[in-house]
Amino acid sequence: MTQYNILLAGVGGQGLMLLSQVMGDACTKSGVKVVVGAQHGLAQRSGSISAHVRIGDAYSPLIPYGTADLIIAMEATEALRYIEFLKQGGTVIMNSRIMHPPLETAPIVKNRQELRMYVTLEQVKEQLSKVVGNVISIDAEKVAVEVGNPRTENVVLLGVASALIGFPVKIEPLKESVRRVVPERAVEANLKAFDLGRKAAEG
Amino acid sequence: MSYQDLTDPSPKRAFMLCNEAVARAVLECDAKVAAFYPGSPTSEILDTLYLLSADYPDLKMEVSANEKVALETVAGASMAGARSFTSMKSVGLNVASDTFYTLGYTGVNAGCVLLVADDPHAHSSQSEQDGRFFAPTGHVPMLEPSTPQEAYDMTRYAFDLSERYKILTMIRTTTRVNHQYASVEVGEVKRTPFQKRNWKDVKRPYFTLSDTARRLKGEALDKLGKIEEEFAASPFNRVIEGEGRIGVVANGVSYLHAMEAAEALGVKPHILKLGTTHPLPKKLIVDFVSKLDKVLVVEELMPYLEQHIKAIAKDADCGLEVLGKESGHFGYVGEYNVAVVSKALGTVYGVKSPVDYEAVQAKAAELKKVIPNRLPVFCAGCPHRATLWALQQALKGTDFILNNDIGCYSMLQLEPYSLTDMMLCMGAGQGISSGMQHVVNDRVVALIGDSTLFHAGLPALVNAVHNGHNYTLFILDNSVTAMTGQQPNPGSDFGPNKVTEIDIEAVVRGIGVKNVTKINAFDPKPNVETMKKAILGEGVNVVISVGPCALWNDRKRRAAKIPIIPNKVGKETCKTIYACVRDFYCPAIQLDMETRQTIIQPDICNGCMVCAKLCPVSAISSTGGAQK
Repeated sequence: MTQYNILLAGVGGQGLMLLSQVMGDACTKSGVKVVVGAQHGLAQRSGSISAHVRIGDAYSPLIPYGTADLIIAMEATEALRYIEFLKQGGTVIMNSRIMHPPLETAPIVKNRQELRMYVTLEQVKEQLSKVVGNVISIDAEKVAVEVGNPRTENVVLLGVASALIGFPVKIEPLKESVRRVVPERAVEANLKAFDLGRKAAEG
Repeated sequence: MSYQDLTDPSPKRAFMLCNEAVARAVLECDAKVAAFYPGSPTSEILDTLYLLSADYPDLKMEVSANEKVALETVAGASMAGARSFTSMKSVGLNVASDTFYTLGYTGVNAGCVLLVADDPHAHSSQSEQDGRFFAPTGHVPMLEPSTPQEAYDMTRYAFDLSERYKILTMIRTTTRVNHQYASVEVGEVKRTPFQKRNWKDVKRPYFTLSDTARRLKGEALDKLGKIEEEFAASPFNRVIEGEGRIGVVANGVSYLHAMEAAEALGVKPHILKLGTTHPLPKKLIVDFVSKLDKVLVVEELMPYLEQHIKAIAKDADCGLEVLGKESGHFGYVGEYNVAVVSKALGTVYGVKSPVDYEAVQAKAAELKKVIPNRLPVFCAGCPHRATLWALQQALKGTDFILNNDIGCYSMLQLEPYSLTDMMLCMGAGQGISSGMQHVVNDRVVALIGDSTLFHAGLPALVNAVHNGHNYTLFILDNSVTAMTGQQPNPGSDFGPNKVTEIDIEAVVRGIGVKNVTKINAFDPKPNVETMKKAILGEGVNVVISVGPCALWNDRKRRAAKIPIIPNKVGKETCKTIYACVRDFYCPAIQLDMETRQTIIQPDICNGCMVCAKLCPVSAISSTGGAQK
């Protein structure tokens, strides 16, 4: 059974569902079998969300624990939140950005004398390094600002992923799907985000 | 799936969400009337048909006040001769069940299809209700898809079945089916022009009482007998031949987990995939199990198939051992996945999975101790956050009970608020308040959103006024049904058709509430006193807090090219008082760990200015420039 499993993780509002649709659409147009299990949940922003992209021969819409080839995390702590899905020696591509949820800020403010600290990128990386073969961390927010559209962080990370050896979807079909799936007014910025992400990975 | 793919009538293969595939099938089947109340995980069916109705004006599509009205609307259309469709979430059918059960007796005319989506794991529901039991008790046939393709195929078949037998037909899904995307082969959309009919051409009686009820029940059961014969040969039930004398029976998404678990374990059970689950194809099941010693039933929620198969096997006297929930191989709580099914199937075969799923999970749990929980929160710019900040201040120093309702504001029960005493189901907050106010000394407070008020809140308000109850009702009016994706509700000024906006204040006053106050949600400080007064007042007090849903409003602003301008915190002025954090908890606001001052993430902030109003030293101001 040949499979390539990608777990997408992020924070509601970062365009994770759109990313899963771009990947699924690109597979379908290239004649590659794909199933995506999306966690739509409710409409609110800023919660933890995920999507399971299963390319090749898979039945279940959910990646079995310990079998994802790749985690693409749109926010650094979200990579760690879904780490049980990654296989031994798998790859993590993550945005270096951390969005600290109100639940993390609340106790810091309530116990201000204790001078508690937020979780840091270094802590996340240290935890990941205990089980992950390859951690690629990129400041996608910075690249997105460079692109001129801060809402393209998701596609920057897709560009990074497209440069991985063994990534099962080709560049052209991915770009073609960006054109089809992304709202027209944002297509150009997203294609630029894809290229810059790819360039950063090849850098 | 792109909108172009969906709306283009030609046959094609495309990557689509199950809910989109269902909507496409509804369109292809030439359904003329579709009515819905939104509910996760079915909302995208409504959303897709809403979009498509602009291109296909012969489809009368509407967003109903609740699921009961939606089912009645489509049943009425069917009785009058037009094909029709509705979908709803598990608990939505509870609301519509009065109509559902009697429709089972009267039957319908033109194809009439109801999709009901259960939510194992209660991802976005108040319970893990198993809707399958509605079908046998309502005398309605039921189909259960596993994949988007099957959901599409079954929707098409359901229209045909419903029309041939003049019987309401139910498709039952679960969250992991509705929210599955895959490649789907769809057919051509061929619409016929919408034609008004004459009742005399289709007329037959649709009423039931005593004699008629008993006769109609008998007729419904006769139809189901014939449908069972048809189901015995249905391609929706499939046997995947294996080896040996162990078998698996599975439905819906459980079938997909079971196929993958068997491959992962390297075992080859005979697998019966059931797609028609009421009436069950008994003969097919007997043929399947008679060659087996053991069968593992893989189904989420209640042991519906398991108990039926036990009974069928006992009648057939084939000495079969039926394993599942009742044997302890599976639990009753939560959803299944490959790991869960592997464990049960591995136990039956005495083999272990090559991946030690439990060890992987245990290791992961250890690793992620460093990261904080990220529970759902009110969006940046949400009017509820501002209303609830004021409510928290207004309640200080008062003994109260807070009875909540179903909507985004349900999140008040979560950390960091943890401020809800009761929340059952749509509209229950007021009815429960009516009971409590008889008994307690505390002030009784109920919250409800605009959509939920129209859905199920009005009868309770009528009741409270009529009976002279004492409680304060906060109506959080954000103009849309926000939690399910900002669909319109009766108070909205938009919809798939020309709509009349219902004025909540006029309705409440019309019912006879004397003390009604309307406040601007985004003006939290002055609202505190208004709220206090209402909470301490006698009789039924209503406060209507008005402010548009942030997601909906941002989308409108983007479409109209109105810039969304975020706020910023002044480094010189911020005195780390944290008034913008406490009781407010906006996801756009974080702390700078060096200075301990607050900072605002510009791509999350939508410039609602409430945090600026809360800051006692005026440290927060608009950046004055668009950021998104």
